[in-house]
Amino acid sequence: MSPRPLVRSRLRVLAVLGGTCLAGCGGSQVIVEATFPRPLIEPLPVSMGVIIPDELYNFIYTEDIPDQSLWTIALGDANVAMLEPLFEGMFRETRDVESLARAAGDPSLDGIIETRLDKFEFDVPTGERDEFVEVWLQYQITVYEPNGATVIQWPVSGYGKSELLRDPEDAVQRAAIVAMREAGATISTKFSEQPQVRVWLGGIANGASVTVGPQAAVGEPAAAELAPAPLD
Amino acid sequence: MSLLGGCGITARFEPYKQTDAVIAEGEHVVVLARKQHSTHEAEEDFVQCISDGLADGKNGLAVHSSKEFEDKMYPWFEPSTAPLSTEDLTLLLERPGVAEQVRNTGVRYVVWVDGSTDRVASGGGITCAAGVGGAGCMGLAWWEDDSRYDATVWDIKDVESEGTIHGDVKGRSVMPAVIIPIPLVTRPQAHACRGLTDQLRQFLTSPEGYPTAGPAPEVG
Repeated sequence: MSPRPLVRSRLRVLAVLGGTCLAGCGGSQVIVEATFPRPLIEPLPVSMGVIIPDELYNFIYTEDIPDQSLWTIALGDANVAMLEPLFEGMFRETRDVESLARAAGDPSLDGIIETRLDKFEFDVPTGERDEFVEVWLQYQITVYEPNGATVIQWPVSGYGKSELLRDPEDAVQRAAIVAMREAGATISTKFSEQPQVRVWLGGIANGASVTVGPQAAVGEPAAAELAPAPLD
Repeated sequence: MSLLGGCGITARFEPYKQTDAVIAEGEHVVVLARKQHSTHEAEEDFVQCISDGLADGKNGLAVHSSKEFEDKMYPWFEPSTAPLSTEDLTLLLERPGVAEQVRNTGVRYVVWVDGSTDRVASGGGITCAAGVGGAGCMGLAWWEDDSRYDATVWDIKDVESEGTIHGDVKGRSVMPAVIIPIPLVTRPQAHACRGLTDQLRQFLTSPEGYPTAGPAPEVG
């Protein structure tokens, strides 16, 4: 996969954080940065186009918490840093594609995978007895066939907690990284167990394009995923 | 002196070793936190303290970095995927590439650390006041922290549990104030780290038989 223009992304993040500061400095800003490992799994024998939408690439979460502060959490770079090695480890071959339309009909691809970050929640304790910062997030993984038909829409969530020491921003960053690693672990270990994915892989192995029924395309509970619930 | 008597540490370590395996030249140990619990989790600093303690000194053991091990074994040692029993470990090692990767790390023993340090009691109070003639405080505050940890040792090569060391360290701190507050602070977590590290070193290097009594109670 070709490297992403991380510098451009970072400038965008800094611009947003700068804007937040101009609007009223004193808020809490977190740019989640980490390196994520390639999963130790046997890659599936498929060639995949990978779509990382701009919204994921530039994902910034803001929330004004009463009696605390305005939180701005930038996850864009970390999303890319997590997903690139993840998909490289999961599939025999991966290639960045701009959009589903551009990849449609590409005979060298067995499928296209698109990831969105649908939900993000976090909790910073205020009570004396609470010790952990918590982060919960949910990605939406969509796999398409080269003709654009949806194979599966699969919500995958991740939960992370981190001990609150001196710096809440650092604790949020660490909890977010744990949550992302958890989501990545679920994606890499449970992907091929999804019934629709099995059917699709079976079709590829048999050399035929298999269109999975429409129930798969509208968010049937595809995941036999035992993910933690959102934060209260 | 009575104030000092109210401030102190009591420690209890209970090792249980069920095999006579010892760490050999070239074999590594890795210390990992159990992260499956929603209510508690061994603190990162505590796990690092044990790792550093085992590696320290002229008889230091070969300790693999926890973070590097989790990265190399990703995604199999994350909170939701980490093996909870040696049966789970057997299944994990049967997965393609996993046993080979473990061999590449050189790790033979995994030490799972479970537990936490919690404030179990506190009381008293200090009142401070300031006036034209000066300022000062009067009173007495105290608190008690409890560090309870289990360190369970797995042998990855023979896929078996070697045993567990249970540590329970209670520390009571007091802060009397006569004009100025004087904190007399005990650190049970640091004591638990030292105690568990000593016990683990014995556990991993002695086939059998080591003192079962923990470090003597001390006054903080």
